[in-house]
Amino acid sequence: MLWIARRIGVAILLVWAVASIVFLAIRLVPGDPAELLLSQGGVAPDPATVAELHEQLGLDRPVLTQYIDNFRHLLSGDLGQSLQDGSPVAGEIARRLPRTLELIGVAAVFAVLLGIPGGLFAAIRRDSALDRIGTYLSALALAVPVFVVGTLMVLVFAQTLRWVPAGGYVPLARDPLQHLALLAMPAITIGLGLAATVFRMTRASVLDVSQRDFVRAARAKGLGQARILLHHVLRNALMPVVTVLALHLGTLLGGTVLVEYVFNYPGLSGLLVEAVNARDYPEVEGVVLVISVLFVALNLAVDLLYAVLDPRVRTA
Amino acid sequence: MKLTRRSALIAGATLPFLRNSARAATTPGRLVFGLSSYPPTMLPWANAGTAAATAKLMFHRGLLGYGPDGTLRGELAEKWEHAEDGAWVLHLRDAVFHNGAPVTSADVAWTVEQVAAEKSTAYLRAEMQRIARVDTPDAKTVRLVTKEPMATLPYLLASYFLPVVAKDSTKDNPLGVGAGPFVMTSEERGVALDFQAFDKFYRPGLPKLKTLRMVAYADENLRVAALQAGDVDLIEYVPWQSMPSIEADPKLSLQSTPGPFMYLTFNGKVKPFDDARVRQAVAHAIRREEIIKAAFFGRGSPIEGLPLTEGTAFYDAKLARGWTYDPAKAKSLLAAAGVGSGFSCKLLSTAQYGMHKDTAAVVQQHLAEIGIQAELVLPDWATRVTLGNRGQYEMAVMGSASEYNDPDGLTSFLAGNLAVSYVRSFGLDIPKIDELLAAGRAEFDDARRHAIYTELQQVFLDQAPIVGLCFRAQGYAMSKQVSGFHNLPGALTFYSGTTLEETTTG
Repeated sequence: MLWIARRIGVAILLVWAVASIVFLAIRLVPGDPAELLLSQGGVAPDPATVAELHEQLGLDRPVLTQYIDNFRHLLSGDLGQSLQDGSPVAGEIARRLPRTLELIGVAAVFAVLLGIPGGLFAAIRRDSALDRIGTYLSALALAVPVFVVGTLMVLVFAQTLRWVPAGGYVPLARDPLQHLALLAMPAITIGLGLAATVFRMTRASVLDVSQRDFVRAARAKGLGQARILLHHVLRNALMPVVTVLALHLGTLLGGTVLVEYVFNYPGLSGLLVEAVNARDYPEVEGVVLVISVLFVALNLAVDLLYAVLDPRVRTA
Repeated sequence: MKLTRRSALIAGATLPFLRNSARAATTPGRLVFGLSSYPPTMLPWANAGTAAATAKLMFHRGLLGYGPDGTLRGELAEKWEHAEDGAWVLHLRDAVFHNGAPVTSADVAWTVEQVAAEKSTAYLRAEMQRIARVDTPDAKTVRLVTKEPMATLPYLLASYFLPVVAKDSTKDNPLGVGAGPFVMTSEERGVALDFQAFDKFYRPGLPKLKTLRMVAYADENLRVAALQAGDVDLIEYVPWQSMPSIEADPKLSLQSTPGPFMYLTFNGKVKPFDDARVRQAVAHAIRREEIIKAAFFGRGSPIEGLPLTEGTAFYDAKLARGWTYDPAKAKSLLAAAGVGSGFSCKLLSTAQYGMHKDTAAVVQQHLAEIGIQAELVLPDWATRVTLGNRGQYEMAVMGSASEYNDPDGLTSFLAGNLAVSYVRSFGLDIPKIDELLAAGRAEFDDARRHAIYTELQQVFLDQAPIVGLCFRAQGYAMSKQVSGFHNLPGALTFYSGTTLEETTTG
């Protein structure tokens, strides 16, 4: 129990450290939110108006006071209001986070469906023409940046073939078909890179596991090839694949900005970039805090799971 | 094999549906407008950029506005005149707000009061504070009594930063209740805005559209792709590189006007830019056509004098060519200023916007040819604004547009007696320019205004408080099924959203 309490304590400290660093960092960067808000379109705001807006937004208070107030609000679950239009930051994150999770989720499913069978097949047919083609294609998918893939997809499927809209977002409840059409291209764009990673990991891992003694023993027992592959080789080979995939998905939480931009997809990463550009302090702090809490919670869950699976961890 | 076949079947079955959904944009009576960004705020009197102004023009209207040809016209005010006692008198038409209440002089007085209030963050606060009082002799007449003569007040009353809002309506809804041609029916933050025609709009038969959807596309290339794919009917801020392909597309049309402009600002507190001869040397050292080619794909026109659009009332063809490319003259001006052997300086711009960065790169190259070694400083836009406002630069690239098609609309770029701002040179007050701007603003006689602004153009050439580089084409592109939309001329291009009330599709 003490070990669990210590892990939870460290997790809380980590979240506090991230929130404090972000609070200070965004204020250290040049750029004044009030000035920016009143200078849209390259116009000159009246300094008295800027001063008034500073007061209204609470930016005229000492940084320490802002910091203490900020944490007081955080402890009560209030992420504050956007400096741009006064809308609640928590509400905006609640709208955007599921979209990003859905995007990442669909991309992951696409990657698994493409990468695992492909990797398995390439390993079985090692050094065949198909194996080589798969390896080259996966290298290409990893080498080409997502914004290039995305732009090409828009050009081919939206502008030329007109199969899908060029970009945007429609809620699932309003129009399920349009929702899926708009989700397809960004999810595939992210999924292609992920699929390449999964393909390579699966291929390498299957080849490695296939050489193990227990696989040889299974063959000696006379088990069928399909049974050996699916029940003995693949199950063991998938452990590192799942670990790598999970790591990638974690980084995608705040890292889908290019794809969101190319496809005009209103997710969490885009919100963070817009907030940084506008120096919208509460929105930046809120988004980073939510991402870091998710990261820390995931890590904590994994740590706790290890402890359940392996008692030695608890006493280490 | 099974999996592949199944995938192919699923994909095949889905594609026809996807194709239909992508095609659904052009519907008679419905228009989808691709905005360049999502409005950060739509508070009625705040300046929140072009996209916000366009959106606000749908549900708000002011006393005056602009017709498709760019001339002033009545909106909520049917007619207006300058009374003998110096007051501006406006006669309101029979219009109603979206809540059904009639538009009265009390609403106008309340609006001016809100904008000018001490705690206001309205863009035109300082200008409205120059109104001494608002008289409301009856429900349909408004008298604006100014503290000093204001010949240009009608332009301010036509600004999209000054809509008339139903009295006290901002208490319940910060956006207020307006009397524009459309009612906003839904708002999905960061994504889209939906509007429906207001059936009691004061222009009978307008708006022609039944519904209007504004979708934000921050990426300019995707905005064009969405138009070409038929997802949207009309887009703003057409990127210059896409203009030829849009012109060549038989299904699309492009409307562009030379409106906004690029220019250089100086730090007058730093040597040698405190010397007008050095600023003039910079003006003569730049081959503006190369900027137009590099940053705007040939879509622009050079500025070699005060940034007035050709064809507007005070444009003087001779004075507009005062700063022709003349490196020999530039070098002699530098020599006369005591820096004939050249000098090094920093040129502030931003890496966030390609046109600013590319302009800076060309300027840097041309300045090097006359011995000025300019080091580029390219932070993000927010930092660039702060450095500009603090005067932490020597020379800077800037882009903006006049507030209206009148030399007075350039005041914020030229008047050194105004508070410090990144849009004008820092610490560079030229009293003669301030004096001429004030005189032009107070003068009602056209001939005398003409003389004042001719002199202003000459002083501007001599003093070079800023150095104009080029006008850039500001474009709207649309499906050929869209009619009635007009890109307003010159500086008024950003008011083009007004014409959506006359726009039809299909």
